[in-house]
Amino acid sequence: MADTPSFRRHRLASSIDFVRWLPSSATSHSGRLLAAAVHDPSSAPATSRIHLLALTEPGNPLVSLSLPTRATALRCSPSVIAASTSSGSLHLLPSSFDSDAAVAISGGAGFHVGPVRGLDCGGEEWVTAGEDGRVHVVGGGADGRVVATRVWDGKGMSGYEAARWASPAEFATGGAGCGVQWWDRRKGHAVVAQCNGIWGRGIVTGMVHSVDIHPSRKHICVVGGSSGTIFAWDLRWPQQPIALSGIGLNGMYEPVCESEVWEVLFDTYTQSSDIVSSASTRILPVMMCSEDGVLAIVEQDERPLELLAEACAINSIDIDPQNPSDVVCALEWESIGVLARGRETMSEE
Amino acid sequence: MPGMPTDGGGAIVPFRGEPGLGLPPPTVRPIHHGVAPPMFRIYVSWSSGNLLQVACLRAPNSEGAGGAEEVAGSVVEVNLGGGGSGGSESEEKIDEAEMRRIEYGSVPAFALLQSRKNALADAAALSRASVPDHAEWWQYVLEYSKTIGSLLGNADCPAAFMLEDPKAILKVREKPTSLRAAWELLEIFYVDKQLQGWLPERLVDWLADFDSLLSSMGSTTYSKLSNFQKKFINLQIIEDDPDYWNGLSAALSVGWLDTVVNMLRFHGSYQLDQMDNRETENGLVEAVVVLVSTMPRMRPNLPTGKLGQCCKTRPDFIKAWEKWRGQVTKLECSAFWIQCGHQKTRDGLKNLLRIMMGNIKDLTAATSNWLELFASHFLYIKPFTVGFEGMHHLAQKCIQLKPPSGTNGLTGLFIGVLSENPEVVLAECTNNFGPWLVTHAMELLTADNDYADIMLHEERPNLGGISLEELHRLVYAQVLCSHSLTWQIAPTYLSSCLNQGLGLLEILLLKQPIQDNRLVLKTLEICRLYELDNVSTNIMKVAGIYHWKHGRKGSGVYWFQQAHDKVHLDRIAQLLFERIGKSVTDDSFKQWEGLLELLGPDIGSAGGLEFLHRYRDFKRSLQQALDGRSGEAARKTVDFLMQLMRNPSTPQRFWLPLLHDSVELFNFKPNPLMDVAETTLLLKKLRELSMAKLRPDFSSNHLPSHALSSVKLALASNLAYAILEDP
Repeated sequence: MADTPSFRRHRLASSIDFVRWLPSSATSHSGRLLAAAVHDPSSAPATSRIHLLALTEPGNPLVSLSLPTRATALRCSPSVIAASTSSGSLHLLPSSFDSDAAVAISGGAGFHVGPVRGLDCGGEEWVTAGEDGRVHVVGGGADGRVVATRVWDGKGMSGYEAARWASPAEFATGGAGCGVQWWDRRKGHAVVAQCNGIWGRGIVTGMVHSVDIHPSRKHICVVGGSSGTIFAWDLRWPQQPIALSGIGLNGMYEPVCESEVWEVLFDTYTQSSDIVSSASTRILPVMMCSEDGVLAIVEQDERPLELLAEACAINSIDIDPQNPSDVVCALEWESIGVLARGRETMSEE
Repeated sequence: MPGMPTDGGGAIVPFRGEPGLGLPPPTVRPIHHGVAPPMFRIYVSWSSGNLLQVACLRAPNSEGAGGAEEVAGSVVEVNLGGGGSGGSESEEKIDEAEMRRIEYGSVPAFALLQSRKNALADAAALSRASVPDHAEWWQYVLEYSKTIGSLLGNADCPAAFMLEDPKAILKVREKPTSLRAAWELLEIFYVDKQLQGWLPERLVDWLADFDSLLSSMGSTTYSKLSNFQKKFINLQIIEDDPDYWNGLSAALSVGWLDTVVNMLRFHGSYQLDQMDNRETENGLVEAVVVLVSTMPRMRPNLPTGKLGQCCKTRPDFIKAWEKWRGQVTKLECSAFWIQCGHQKTRDGLKNLLRIMMGNIKDLTAATSNWLELFASHFLYIKPFTVGFEGMHHLAQKCIQLKPPSGTNGLTGLFIGVLSENPEVVLAECTNNFGPWLVTHAMELLTADNDYADIMLHEERPNLGGISLEELHRLVYAQVLCSHSLTWQIAPTYLSSCLNQGLGLLEILLLKQPIQDNRLVLKTLEICRLYELDNVSTNIMKVAGIYHWKHGRKGSGVYWFQQAHDKVHLDRIAQLLFERIGKSVTDDSFKQWEGLLELLGPDIGSAGGLEFLHRYRDFKRSLQQALDGRSGEAARKTVDFLMQLMRNPSTPQRFWLPLLHDSVELFNFKPNPLMDVAETTLLLKKLRELSMAKLRPDFSSNHLPSHALSSVKLALASNLAYAILEDP
């Protein structure tokens, strides 16, 4: 339970759903900054906010933006912090961090109804994918207002839980039971490829919680979902997803966890153990966090490397884009964990 | 629980307090429901945590609605929070967030101890001859106790890195809490066997850490010193102030030697300009300083900054003690006192010497309450007091000398411990420190105490067959369940309750909100850990219905599939058929693609939805066949059609639409696509359909009236061709 020099916990005294590094181009006097989506059910009525925190002193938020309902996704771009909520709204806070300058698209028939868990920033535009089956692209209009364009309305027939841009024209979504979809805006805003994934324990379908796409290998998605499942999907072989972890999948090491994998990220810090053959066929190392408190690196055909085994769930992780050795995570027990990976943690492997 | 409101006064349920019991009047909470009276029904039910849901309904057709839009009913949530967790620490109330931190932190330690306990019990059961290793067990409990103690704060380390004020008498430290004081007390008496021989000194240390908490009993050494500290800065001649000497004697009596030495050095005779005329006086002060700082103490070690000489064993201590007492006596009888011109210094220093000699009268005068007097006995009168009986006797004597003026949870706990009465200890913990402490401290009580072990684990019929231990754990679990942030740790405690824990755990899990998929998954994860498969199935079904009702059909089907709920999937299939039946020729079928994709290739798990899957394949193939006009695609489409028509799960009402869609295929040139047997089968089905039309439950579809005849004609012509083709 005790903190170590490489891992420190900071208490926030409210539930923390997501935590992200702010790209450091958004500089401030307080050094490196974090954005966190917090929820406090003990106040009446329950409050939800986005906090902007200094890494040196996470207890005191620098800026706080109030949300109508609990945040369901949080992403940062160099210029904007964006959060979507369980009532279907999207909130954009510009990097001037002036909460008066925040822009919101409220939830409802014109946008999303219900939780929006898929949210990602791709350059100038944001993609949102909700459990209501709608997919929007949100961008700046000519007159400086934000405009949401509906890409698809699934009318609730399928619900999305994750979204990630691959390029300005392509993005991937994932959801409950429907696996992963690849969308191409050049081809009539439609799904161009689809993969159900491989799920352990003999089940055919599971829920996707997170999708990540490597910036230099845009044809490969890594997907994390229910029952400890992590798999990679290569668009060049769309019918053959590659299992990275899962229960009862053949040719694997012991699965790194058996519970929900909340988030997966390509880990740019960990070098692939097999540098010589790390040709384009090999999946790069992936960081994951789970409901049973595991933070680990998984690699194709390798034993997973466990970085943390917490007593509570790790709900969200983020790798600092500028210092990829530093990882921040949101812990279920009302705290933020900051992990600084140095040489010693790597030499254990 | 429906209740009929009465007419008068708007009161809903009359409250009848028993007149003899003197119950406080009920708390009245006004509810703003916005529903105009008269009220027809009021439903009250518990929501999660402290929330109470109150539904107020008007009569469905009450007159006087006046056409305007009137609220027919509303549901309001009432938060009954604010009661706290039963703790009554008045002076240093731990706030809720801080308490949650302690609650979270104690979960891993508690779980580890329980698993070790179970492992030891299993090992003992395997080898009946050997009793469980007792030495090992208390080591585990001590480790547990230290882990929990560290959560409650660390009294030894300074509150913050700050420059020490040279004029500070009391060190600035982290504010102690009663919770920590109680925990340490229990640890000292029940767990820490290693330091049992040095128990008196440990109690002295304990009092030094937590003296400030005893202020509800009147003044304390701590309060005397902190009051003097405020005054101190403005004092010109410190040794003229009686509070200076009072503070000194109080601090010495409870053994705060470093404070005494520190204060004595502020004596005016140390000032450079006065050194010459007050040489003797200064010599006497310094002699007392030396005696104070060399006082022998029976303890293994002294933390840095504390004064005295450490004696680990009894013979060493007795030798040092005799020598030191001799020095004190010698100084008291010294001739230099006559030469000391300052009256107050002389009296004050002599008083300190008498305290060091163990003069009961002076000790009683110097200390502020019986606990301080009790501690001073260990230091100056009976350093070898051991055993509960001796201590209890001494405590009784101290209470007689200094009757307590107020009550304090800690002193009650202290007496309970000394009187060797676990019932009293438990009751004091329950009344003063709340369910968290009780639940976790029970492990300390039973560490090496057979009587407490039996008392806590005995199954009691008056508690419904559960033990006291289980009762207290259940109470604590209820406290955890009542907060939406801590309910997730309640299962750890519930699962350690053998009789009723699992039943309550099931109820807890079933009551969790199902609106949010992530929260549902968290609940299901707990079901998985405790192997509650039927509970998780129920939760998935409820979640499925919720999502389906709210238009998220995909999520609904997903949860039903996860729950293997054939009944609901079949019902959904019926609903879908009705929708599709209307739009069968429409290409809005595309909307359903996502849902069908969701169903996946394993149609077995989809129940009645299997048909939709095949139907989609058929439609897709038909489209290709009609677009491309290729014979192969057309043949494949016919295969799909035949599969559908043969399959018993294909609803009858789809037969005609299917056939109608396929009319072009039947007329396919140059060669007929179906052989004689296939065509005959389709004709048979058509006849069956005509018969069914006469039944009252037949549902008509939205096809043109000539559909049937055009299908018949096409089939007939196909049959003719097929016969011709037949070799």
